[in-house]
Amino acid sequence: MHKRNTVSIVVKHIVLGVLAAIWLIPILWLLVTSFKEDTGISISKFFPQNWSTHNFVDLFKETEYTSDGILKYKTWFMNTLVIAIFTCLISTTFVLMVSYSLSFCRFKGRRFIMNLSMILNMFPGVLSMIVIYFLMKALDLTQSHIGMIIVYSAGSGLGYLIVKGYMDTISTSIREAAIIDGCTEAGIFFKVVLPLCKPIIVYQVISSFLMPWGDFVFAKLILGTNSSKWTLAIGLYNMLDKSRLNAHFTHFCAGGLLISVPISILFLIMQKYYVEGITSGSNKE
Amino acid sequence: MSLNTTRAKTVGLNKAPVTPPVKASKIKDPAKKSHYFKDLITAFKNGDKYVRLSALFMGTGYIARKQVIKGILVQLLQILYILAIIFYAGPSFAKFDTLGTVEFAYEKVGLNTRINNYDNSFLILLNSIVGFFAIFVFILLWIHNIKAVYDLQKRAEKGRPIKNFRQDIHSLVEGNFHITLLALPTIGVILINILPILILIAIAFTNYGGLDHTPPTHLFTWTWRVKDASGQVVGKVWDNFAQFFNSTNSNFNYAFWKIAGWTLLWALLATFTCFIGGILLAKLINSDGIKFRKMWRTLFIITIAVPQFVSLILVRNFFRDSGIFNTMCSDIGLTKLLYNLHLIPTKDYIPFLTNPKWTKFMIVMINIWVGVPYQMLIATGVLMNIPKSQVESARLDGANNFQVFVHIIMPYFLVVQGPALITDFVRNINNFNVIYLLTQDVYTTHDLKMAAANAKEPDLLVTWLFRLTNENASYNIASVIGIIVFIACATFTLISFGIMMRGNKEEDYR
Repeated sequence: MHKRNTVSIVVKHIVLGVLAAIWLIPILWLLVTSFKEDTGISISKFFPQNWSTHNFVDLFKETEYTSDGILKYKTWFMNTLVIAIFTCLISTTFVLMVSYSLSFCRFKGRRFIMNLSMILNMFPGVLSMIVIYFLMKALDLTQSHIGMIIVYSAGSGLGYLIVKGYMDTISTSIREAAIIDGCTEAGIFFKVVLPLCKPIIVYQVISSFLMPWGDFVFAKLILGTNSSKWTLAIGLYNMLDKSRLNAHFTHFCAGGLLISVPISILFLIMQKYYVEGITSGSNKE
Repeated sequence: MSLNTTRAKTVGLNKAPVTPPVKASKIKDPAKKSHYFKDLITAFKNGDKYVRLSALFMGTGYIARKQVIKGILVQLLQILYILAIIFYAGPSFAKFDTLGTVEFAYEKVGLNTRINNYDNSFLILLNSIVGFFAIFVFILLWIHNIKAVYDLQKRAEKGRPIKNFRQDIHSLVEGNFHITLLALPTIGVILINILPILILIAIAFTNYGGLDHTPPTHLFTWTWRVKDASGQVVGKVWDNFAQFFNSTNSNFNYAFWKIAGWTLLWALLATFTCFIGGILLAKLINSDGIKFRKMWRTLFIITIAVPQFVSLILVRNFFRDSGIFNTMCSDIGLTKLLYNLHLIPTKDYIPFLTNPKWTKFMIVMINIWVGVPYQMLIATGVLMNIPKSQVESARLDGANNFQVFVHIIMPYFLVVQGPALITDFVRNINNFNVIYLLTQDVYTTHDLKMAAANAKEPDLLVTWLFRLTNENASYNIASVIGIIVFIACATFTLISFGIMMRGNKEEDYR
C-alpha cells in the first residue's frame, strides 16, 4: 500500500513537470531570444548562438532609431503609465460608486439599471469601436491621451459585478448600526463600507491599472500613426509588422520581457485578492 | 451569518444590536408596482395651476412653493438645454431624412479653389442621434419634474415641511446619495456604450461603406432611399440584413453561416476545455503528497501574467511554417510521419496556423494554454470550500476518485461557477485577442467565396467584423453583424441567468 502511494506521487510529479514545461517553453523562448545577438527571428535554434544584452540597451537609445520611428520604449512606457494611472483612478472610483449604490441603496429603477447594464455588458467594445473612434474624432480627441483615458475609463461603471458581489456579503446590520450612530449615507460609504472592501479594491485598482498595458485595438485605432503618442502595446505590436520582423524581433522580445516583469508582479497580487474576493461569497454557513 | 458578525466586530460597531437588526427583506425596492404614466396623469389631473404651468416652465412649481433657488436653477437649465438641442442638433434634424444631399466638391471662387459647404452624412447621423437621445432624456426629466412638483403641492396641502435649498443639497449625501454616486458613471456609459450602440443600429440601415459611400468625400443614405442609375428607388429597409439571410445572395450568406457555426463551436470548446482543464490541474496540484504546491501554481501563472499580445504574437511566430517548432518537428521526423499518415498536406512543414483545420485545432490548444491557469487559480479557491464531509462519506460508501469527481466536485463547481461560465461563454464568442493575434498577417484563406466576403475560416464574428471595418470599410455590413452578435449574446445571457437565478437571491447572502 505504501509503495503504491509513492509511485502515484512520483507519477503526479512527473505529469506536473511535463505540463509546467509545456506551459513555460514559449516564455523561456521569449527570455532567451531577448538575449540573442542578431535581431532576426531564429528558425533553427531554440537557444541563441551568441548572447548579448544589446536588445535591452537599444530599447532606450531613442535617438538612433527614430528614423523608422519604432524604438521609443521610454516614451511609450511613460505614455502608458500616465494613461494607466488616470484610467485606474477614474475606473476604480466609478466602479466603487456604482457598486455601493446598487448594493446598499434602495431606489426606484435599481433593478432596471442592473438589468440594463447586464445587457450593455454583452456588447463588446470591439463592435462599437469604429463608432467610438468617430465620436472621439468629433470631440477632437483622437491622437490624444485624454481620448484614450476616456475610452478606457468612461464605461467602467458597467464592470461593477465583482465588487458589488463582494459588497453584497457585507451585512446590512453594519449599515443600520452606522445610521443609528448618526452617520450619513456618504459617511457609511467612506468610513464603513470602503475599509471593509480592501481586498476587492486592491483587485479593482490593479485590474484597471493593467488594462491599458494589454490593449492594442483601441490604442491603435485612436492613437493612429504618430509613434511618439503610442502606448507600449501598439509600439511592440508594430515592431512585428511584416516588414520589420527581421530587424526587430529580438527587440520585441526584450521589450515584452521588460514590461512582463512588473505586470506579472501586479498580476500575482491581484489574483490573490481576486480569489479572496470571489470565494468569500460562497463560504457562508 | 457568522461572517457578518466577525466583520462587524472588526469595525467596532458591535454596540448597535440594541435594536434588533432589521431584516433585509424590509428594505426591498420601493414601489415594486410602478405606475409610471398613471402617476403622471394623476399629477396633471389633481395638480393646481402651478403644477400645470410647470409643464411649460419647469421651474414655476418650485418657485410657487418657495423653493426659489431651485426653481430658478431648474428654469435656467431647461432653457439652456432646449437651446443646446436646437443649436446643436437642429441643422442635422433637418437633413436626417436624407442624411445629406450636397456632395463634397471643389468650387471656384474668383481665382481660389475651395471646398464647398458639403454635407457629412456621418456627422448628420451622429448629431441627430445625440439630439434624439437628448430629447428622450429631456422627456424623462420633464415627467420626473411634474411628479416632483405635484409631490410638493401635496406636501404643502398637508402642511408637511418642504426642504429648503440647503436641505436639498444635503440630501445628495443622504437619501439621494445614489444620484450623486451614479451621475458621472452614467454619463460615461451613455457616451461610450449607449450612444455608439444607437449609432451602430442606425448605420445598419444605411449604405455606409465602401469607396462610394464613405464621408467626408461621399454621402451615404438610408437603405430605403437608395436609388439605381435611373433614379428609381430600389432599396428596402432590411436590405443589409437580407444579405446574410437570403440564400440567393451568395458570399455574405455563405461566410456568415460558416463563421457563425465556428464561433459557436469555438465558444463551447474554449469554455469547457479551460473549465475542466483548470479544475483537473487544480486538483492535481492540491492532491496528497505534492510538494511545493505554491511553486507549481506560480509556474503556471507566469504564462498568463505575460500580456496576451506579447505571448500570443510570440506563439504565433513559434508555430510559423518556417518557424522554430517546425524545424524541431522535422528534425525528429514528426513532419514526415504526419505527412505519411495524410494528416497534413505539406511535406516540409506542419501548417499549424495556415491550414484551416490545423489552425482551428491550434487555436483551441493555445487557448487552453492561455485559459487553464486562470481557471486553475479560481478552482483552487473553490476546491478549498468543498465540504470535506461529503467527499469523505462518499468514499466510505465506496465511491472511487472518478465517481467523487463526477458526482460531488463537478456539481459543486457548476453551482458556484455557473454564472461565471455563462459570462465566459459570451466572452469567448467575442474573444477578439486570441483569434486576431494568432491569425492576423499569417493566415490566408483559399476559399474564394470567403475571401470575397473578406472572411477567413478561423475568424469569429467579431474578428470578421473588425476586418470588414478596418480593411474593407464595410461599415453597414459590420454593423449588421454587430447587432446580430449582440442580440444573440443578450438573449442567451438573459435566458440562462433567468433559469439559473429564479427569484431574487441577492438578499439571501445577508
